[in-house]
Amino acid sequence: MADAQFDSALDLLRRLNPRDTKQNLQAITSIVPDLTEDLLSSVDQPLEIRRCPKTNRDYLLCDYNRDGDSYRSPWSNEFDPPLEDGTVPSERVRKLEVAANEAFDVYRELYYEGGVGSVYFWDLDDGFAGVILLKKGVTPGAKSSGEWDSIHVFEATDRARMSHYKLTSTVILHLANETEALGEMDLSGNMTRQVEVDLPVESDASHVANVGRLVEDMELKMRNLLQEVYFGKAKDVVGELRSLASLSETSKERATQREMIMSMHK
Amino acid sequence: MASTVDIASSFIEGAPPGELADVVADVKTLTSDGPDIIASLAPAFARYNETQLATVKLPGASQEVVVSEFNRLEGNRYFDVESQTSFEVDHVTQEASDAQSYVLESQNADLVKSLLKLLGAHAREHYPNSSYGVYPIENDSAVAILLVANRYSPNNFWNGRFRAVYQVPVADPTTVTGKIQVDVHYYEDGNVALNTNKPISLSVPSVSAESIISRIATAERDYQEDLNRAFVQMAEGAFKGLRRQLPITRQKVEWEKVGGYRLGQDISGGKGR
Repeated sequence: MADAQFDSALDLLRRLNPRDTKQNLQAITSIVPDLTEDLLSSVDQPLEIRRCPKTNRDYLLCDYNRDGDSYRSPWSNEFDPPLEDGTVPSERVRKLEVAANEAFDVYRELYYEGGVGSVYFWDLDDGFAGVILLKKGVTPGAKSSGEWDSIHVFEATDRARMSHYKLTSTVILHLANETEALGEMDLSGNMTRQVEVDLPVESDASHVANVGRLVEDMELKMRNLLQEVYFGKAKDVVGELRSLASLSETSKERATQREMIMSMHK
Repeated sequence: MASTVDIASSFIEGAPPGELADVVADVKTLTSDGPDIIASLAPAFARYNETQLATVKLPGASQEVVVSEFNRLEGNRYFDVESQTSFEVDHVTQEASDAQSYVLESQNADLVKSLLKLLGAHAREHYPNSSYGVYPIENDSAVAILLVANRYSPNNFWNGRFRAVYQVPVADPTTVTGKIQVDVHYYEDGNVALNTNKPISLSVPSVSAESIISRIATAERDYQEDLNRAFVQMAEGAFKGLRRQLPITRQKVEWEKVGGYRLGQDISGGKGR
């Protein structure tokens, strides 16, 4: 039954308003508390920002840098509130994590021109895994706002002179606008994509570049996809519901066109 | 803490267009450890059907009629002016039964019927799949005008609904108020929802069914044009401001140079880069 309930919970969260995912997730887990752990690790939610007390830099919170009620800052490698025995990456993987944070900081500046980013790595038996988080909000008008959250989770499995990368990426995009002419308009949601690839690894430095390129390509693809769905598909469906042109005239024009084509073929 | 019935009710009422049955199935599975709660959700189903302007097929007929707070009689009975029928609605299954002849008794019956005829013509001109209704409300002191258009394409992972509700006070029929709501759901490899709510307030130049429907038709056209422009503005504004398609240099990131060099092996050769 637990598997069926987990599937139903995911299906429900895919149907109910994506703006309310957080509340709906809480509501589901209050009905079926056993699902809490599994749902928290499989349902992506907008990222929260916290300030690192040691470095005074902002970082992002997620299930992967959480230990109990504390979160690990990628800048200091320390937990807040402090933990005596919090889980931290091995020395080698922490080194990689530091390098990846520096690299993605440059990436964030280039593509987001602001926002907040954080990278967390952890050890696996046959490699390592990580999550790259990026968040940005804008308020172009008093009642117009936008928020972008990128969550890229990957596993890098060691092979001979190669590494197998599996990347799962989710972008949560919320847009809202309110004007006199328009009333309220809310366009919100999330999309997920996966990719798997084998790439050559000469040294640990290759990992940062490999993951960087994978995430960069994925975000470009997803940005195009979001653009298509949010501003193309949604608008098309509105056009399916209501036709700006008169339907009787449209069908008359079509009939005339058909007749013309028929007469040309005679 | 909210009870299971409260939570399940909010899920029912939050079902996107055309996906009520899927949400119900999920709710049943999630609550399968306890007693069957579907019967206790009847009020939530009723609220969903009335606010979403659910459409039901009359027994033995092919046409669909609207369920709303404006054409409710007693209990779960509703009436339809065009077919002169009253009917019982099972809110959980969205099925109509026990159809009976219903003659509209209203001082404004003529206005209601003229509005209905013109609204029908307007609906056929612009909504490929719609249902509509006109009903006397508030002790015959006003008239409600409703239109709902649905398009469901679950095989392509999208569904949509357009709702318009207007009220015309009979004592002062030059002021029409109401709202237009559009809901679109797209859920292939994700979950994307468009929800809009546009309050409407119209001054009608002369007191006639023709001028009322004509102003409504114009308001709906203007709104669709405003909405189409808003899609473009969001794409060009907020969306572009969140993440660039390419860095300002038009070059992708040179990953070997932006952090990897700090990893041991490249430190000695750092100068050469």
